[in-house]
Amino acid sequence: MTHIVGTARVAVFRWKAVRPLLVFGAVTLGLWLVFADRIARRTAESVGTTLIGAEVEIERLHLDLPHGRVEIHGLTVASPFEALQNLLQADALVADLEPLPLLEKKLVIDRLTATGLKFGTARLTDGRAGGRSDGVMGQVTRWGEQLQVPALALPTGKISAARLDPAQLTTPRAAAALGARADSARQAWDSQLKGLDVAATADSARRMAERLRGAKATDVKLLGDARRTLGQLKQAQDRVTALERSATSGIAALQAGAAGLTDAKQRDYATARGLLKLPGLDAPDIGAALFGPAAVGRFQRALYWVELGRRYMPPGLLPRATPGPQRARRAGATVRFPRANGEPAFLLKTAELSVQLGAAGTIPRTYAASLSGVTSDPALYGRPATASATAPGFRLGALLDHVRPTPRDTATASLAGVALPPLSLPSLPIRLEPGAGTVALSLAVQGDEVRARWTMQSDRVRWTRDSSGAAPPSPTGDLVWRVVSGIPTLAVSASLTGSLARPRLAVSSNLDRALAERLRAVAGAELAVAERRVRAQVDSLVDGQVAPVLAKVTVLGGDVTRRLGGERTQLDDARKALEQRLRALTGLPGVRLP
Amino acid sequence: MLLLKLIQSLFKALHSEGTPGQLAAGLALGSFLGLTPLWNLHNAVVFALIIVLNVSFAGAMLGWALFVPVGFLLDPAFDWIGRTLLLDTPALRPLWTALYNAPVVPLTSFNDTIVLGSLVFAAALWVPLFFASRWGIVRYRATVAERVKRSALYRSVVASKLYNLYRLFRPEA
Repeated sequence: MTHIVGTARVAVFRWKAVRPLLVFGAVTLGLWLVFADRIARRTAESVGTTLIGAEVEIERLHLDLPHGRVEIHGLTVASPFEALQNLLQADALVADLEPLPLLEKKLVIDRLTATGLKFGTARLTDGRAGGRSDGVMGQVTRWGEQLQVPALALPTGKISAARLDPAQLTTPRAAAALGARADSARQAWDSQLKGLDVAATADSARRMAERLRGAKATDVKLLGDARRTLGQLKQAQDRVTALERSATSGIAALQAGAAGLTDAKQRDYATARGLLKLPGLDAPDIGAALFGPAAVGRFQRALYWVELGRRYMPPGLLPRATPGPQRARRAGATVRFPRANGEPAFLLKTAELSVQLGAAGTIPRTYAASLSGVTSDPALYGRPATASATAPGFRLGALLDHVRPTPRDTATASLAGVALPPLSLPSLPIRLEPGAGTVALSLAVQGDEVRARWTMQSDRVRWTRDSSGAAPPSPTGDLVWRVVSGIPTLAVSASLTGSLARPRLAVSSNLDRALAERLRAVAGAELAVAERRVRAQVDSLVDGQVAPVLAKVTVLGGDVTRRLGGERTQLDDARKALEQRLRALTGLPGVRLP
Repeated sequence: MLLLKLIQSLFKALHSEGTPGQLAAGLALGSFLGLTPLWNLHNAVVFALIIVLNVSFAGAMLGWALFVPVGFLLDPAFDWIGRTLLLDTPALRPLWTALYNAPVVPLTSFNDTIVLGSLVFAAALWVPLFFASRWGIVRYRATVAERVKRSALYRSVVASKLYNLYRLFRPEA
């Protein structure tokens, strides 16, 4: 084919280039086939790292496309939480793929078998990807930070109140609002009192009484005027009564507001105590101070997986944007458009896992676990994702139901007879080695509501002094050491309830009562002094603003009551005088004036 | 090195035996390679077109080289175009859903905001770019081309080995 340019005919196609193009295409295809395993391995590592939030490493990956099979050897997934720990390692994974969905860039795995799965193994480098403030990890970290855990510390010496920010106190704001309400009420009542014009009505009645002094009983017109004046007096009295009623309820509301300032002040005391990290002496505070951070850590981990599940397995069929692939250019966003009755972008129908678990000091044994229905589009698959594993002393069950609009995630796991990881008590130079014990975690998140429980029990606890210097020696540490070092058992229970936005944490342990009593005996007096100091600081910030408002409310109540009383007295006196004159004029005893 | 290649491409293209139309068509096709993310299926098609169609290969390489930085610079705009088309235009949703669930099409990554945005932009730019560059080349050849041909810089560029490689793909008159 040719076309004419100017006066010359120019061929549209460059036929001689077709052969080199075909050769180039064949070479490209050959290179792809040679490097397909490597490309797929790198892609799998990159996608896995993005999904998990920690490094995913694969020793070898083999694509067997004619048989629709992928083999992965030496899989290592780093822990997104611990720097030098793996989440899991697997010797081999074999996935049977459905080939046709691959043409739609969809991955449907009929069956996956994993052998040699090990959890919590050590690694040499930090495998956590991204910052602690990024993505789901950042979201969960911020969520954990809102759970305030009291610190266990004996107040020694002077405790600085410098960190007490007046802006955090609620009483001054409440006082200012109450003062404004009082001003507004005074203005309204003043205006209504003026509107009553009681003095004019009373004067008019008094003048009428004077006119009646020399009048005759036959002066019908005057008597009619007197009755009208009496009627006006009664109307004025009714208006005063109505205003009295309104003022009484208004004053009561202001007084309730004034009483509310006392409650606000109590809350400010609590806020100030929390800011100054003064622990309470109640047992629940002790439990939260000792094991709160550990419990929050467990709940954060559980919620991390729940949030990841919700991010990558969202309910519904609306288009979804996820971050695009990493490249030199901007990543942009990749949008998925699921269609009813279509294939999900990712689906793992069933997985059979061979897990290696071992009690402390024993050779690991192999147990079976299973996974099913893991998909990027639960609404298309129509069934929830499930996971289960059972072994002597180990039980795991999880269900992620994102089929319906409100996601429902439940999981329960317990592990008995295995070496529990050691714990360092927060801010104390004491380390707890629970030894072989039982740990259990249950979690249910429905929509935004969370209900979770973490328990840990051990009968052979070992307490050691932590000499690493992470927490310096302190009187509190010595005191706690004296109490706990003689206790051989441990039972900790933590629960999390409420909404994800406003969770409530409660922690208790068998150490709480013993420590609380000991702390109360030793440090109660010092703590009381510190608390008095904190209260005094709050008083100094609050009282100056509260007292004038309270005085204003008191004065306003008295003032309004007094003024209304005065108005009523004027009207009563005038009415009495007018009625007496009328009775005297008509001279009929027992006759009731209208 | 990159700059040198760019200058070589520029000289080779402007002084090739190809017509201004061939050169402009090559440049406009090459702009696809520069404006859109390179490793995508649609660019394989564009590359095949550059090879098979009788357009200036040097022009295409020049277009590619010139528009790579433009692509990087305009990525935010491409992202916006892509998001608007993919997410904020409900009328197009049935089309995207059909394409997303069709064989092979998803392999083009059309559902990536940068890919779609840049592809739409490059397609819209193709015609104006073709005519503008053709006019520019005609003007260049009529005015300063001869003087440039006599310059030492030009002679050193055309003497390089890369120039010989280019001659394999020069347009057929």
